[in-house]
Amino acid sequence: MSIWEEHPLARRFWKEGRADFPIYDMHGHMGSLNTIHLARAEADQMVAHMRRIGVKHLVFSHHHALFEPSFRNVRAWEICRNHPDILRMYVAINPHYPDHIREDLALFDSWKPFAVGLKLLPDYHQVPLNDRRYEYALRFAAERKLPVLSHTWGGSSCNGYPQLAEVIHKYPGLIFFIAHALFGDWEGAERLVRESAGNVYLELTALPGERGLLERLTASVGSERLLYGTDLPWFDEYQVVGGVLSADITEQDMRNIFYANVERLLGRDW
Amino acid sequence: MRELFFYDSMCAVGLPLTGGTAATTPDELHKEMDRYGIDKALVRHINLPNINAELSNEIVAEFVGNDHSGRIRGVWCILPEQCEELPKPDLLFRRMGESGIAALTLAPFSHRWIPCRLTIGRIMDAAAERHIPVLLDNFTGRWQELYAFLKEFPRNITMIQDRSKHGPDRLIRPLLEAYENLHYVISCHWVPEGIRDLAERYGAERLLYGSNYPIFSQGSMMLSLKQSGLPMDEIRKISGKNLENLLNGAQL
Repeated sequence: MSIWEEHPLARRFWKEGRADFPIYDMHGHMGSLNTIHLARAEADQMVAHMRRIGVKHLVFSHHHALFEPSFRNVRAWEICRNHPDILRMYVAINPHYPDHIREDLALFDSWKPFAVGLKLLPDYHQVPLNDRRYEYALRFAAERKLPVLSHTWGGSSCNGYPQLAEVIHKYPGLIFFIAHALFGDWEGAERLVRESAGNVYLELTALPGERGLLERLTASVGSERLLYGTDLPWFDEYQVVGGVLSADITEQDMRNIFYANVERLLGRDW
Repeated sequence: MRELFFYDSMCAVGLPLTGGTAATTPDELHKEMDRYGIDKALVRHINLPNINAELSNEIVAEFVGNDHSGRIRGVWCILPEQCEELPKPDLLFRRMGESGIAALTLAPFSHRWIPCRLTIGRIMDAAAERHIPVLLDNFTGRWQELYAFLKEFPRNITMIQDRSKHGPDRLIRPLLEAYENLHYVISCHWVPEGIRDLAERYGAERLLYGSNYPIFSQGSMMLSLKQSGLPMDEIRKISGKNLENLLNGAQL
């Protein structure tokens, strides 16, 4: 029998398209992008896609807030208010605009419950993660124990292992989500989790579907350290869920990835 | 599950040159296929870009020859005709038929030749006459060369894929629009509901399920196709019927 017949979770998604538990998608975006035709990049389309598979919350940073400095985070907050049950946001941090950072973080509390953390994009902003221009935002997050999702990639000179290790060591209070799990530098990703004080998580965008990776990370750091993410509107929720279900890991590992880890961290009502 | 027949169009086997794991025997591949409910697979050699076509063809023929289930068919690689490294088309195709080989591929960028009419015009024309599919997996990411190649060989039945994970619609849609014999393997088409978009625009007949095993898990795209929102008869075409028809249509 195939996994789609044999495994309860896989069977459920195969037959009904959704499970009886929530999915928390911890890495999303929104809006058009220069390099890709994204047919479903606006809130209504994304929400419709997510409702089909049972995503309870997507935490996103708006593409435009990340790539166009005149597009401020308040606009992402306004979008969240139109979809209050499902959309949550990371405040996009551009280290080249310290005034924007201070202004936006001054509003952070007023943007709750929609604002839940910060998003950093060092490779694209071309400022290494350990640069002092991130300090204000990182201190802000550490003091409030807010999640920080940073783009990472193996071998990067802005968000590779050395920069991550320095920041994680410097801010032990930070809840740090390593986006893409330091893609390609799996040993580095594993070391970051192992050497942390339990505050570091590997976010899985772009990994599910890659043969053997989830098995490796589950064995090395434990599924309790893995978070589900899709980069939506880049990747189809069903592809990513299918990638998790296809991995040779236990049902509890899958549940940890889809929702249990996030609920342990943020609760059920956020 | 058996409501759908899956034929994996993009599957590589053998001992990978740079390490890692892949099926080295039909039994190993069957085990992987059975885990996900894949019925059949079209296989090519994993080290093809790095080894000679003749050796690759020999290894694939042996692999397929050791499969007694009838679930596996192979892909052979071609080379420029002028060096006479492979038999002439008639003999090559006959040997393909005898060896369970159902499609052709080419690796010009690592085998150091130019993919054009001058180099492989005769064999490509013969393949077009006999409806033998040609996998263009080694053109992945080389869009300018792919555009030029398809312009030279529009009559051939061709199959392409993308491996970048960046939605390739801007690159792939013009080709699907221009070349009716072109088929797109969905192995890395991870765009939300993108399979449905392509099927509605160009027809489900133009899309093929493929996993890109062993890089990707064979199961990963199955759920995405099943839950694509397409009618079940369209999903059936993409999951296996289209490839089965293409391979059965080849006159070998």
